[in-house]
Amino acid sequence: MNVLKIVLQVLGILILIPAVAIATLRLDNQNADGPSILFPGGELVSGELYTGPEPDWSFTDDVQTVELQLVDPLSSRLIFVMESEGKVYVPSGYMRSTLGKIWKDWAFQADEGNGLAVVRIDGTRYERQLLRIKEGPVLDGIVAKMGSKYGGGATATPEAIQAGRASVEAGDIWIFEMAPRGG
Amino acid sequence: MKTKTYLIVCAAVSLVVSLTILFVPAVSDTLEGAMLAFLATYAR
Repeated sequence: MNVLKIVLQVLGILILIPAVAIATLRLDNQNADGPSILFPGGELVSGELYTGPEPDWSFTDDVQTVELQLVDPLSSRLIFVMESEGKVYVPSGYMRSTLGKIWKDWAFQADEGNGLAVVRIDGTRYERQLLRIKEGPVLDGIVAKMGSKYGGGATATPEAIQAGRASVEAGDIWIFEMAPRGG
Repeated sequence: MKTKTYLIVCAAVSLVVSLTILFVPAVSDTLEGAMLAFLATYAR
């Protein structure tokens, strides 16, 4: 009985340490200027605020992740980015899984709210509005870019594009266009 | 260990872990890197 108690106490401490570490990292980062690799951050405040004409978004082909901050609620995270036909998009996967419902709260908030966002790419901030793309042939180019950019570098096959588009139209993957505000 | 002593130890450990992460510069980055490596390896 004494041995069991000692084992349980040691187990408790071993569980406590990572739990406290994760909670501390989460809380420490929640008001930071941008997200860390794993934990959401706060408002994006540093970096030039872009005010010119709509940029040529093809430069994002060389950008792995961007910092995306919703205006309401105010939080930021690292997100993949795809350019297609002159427009720029961000994805959110696992949306119909339990993991997605817990982890991807930003996507639900963007879809249900006004979608106003700020994205920081290579140190420059852009004020955008997230508009969800649920269906349509526009998805073909987006899915193809997502597959080739984040799926190993090979050009996406027609079958892969069709499967990816089906995933989006089924709601497993959500795609948001980062459109100009008020546009 | 008596329960009261154990709770004090838990509180002390929690405090030390939190303060280390908050005030020792490289610890938070190292921990996040380790967590990311773990997830990349096992979260499939």
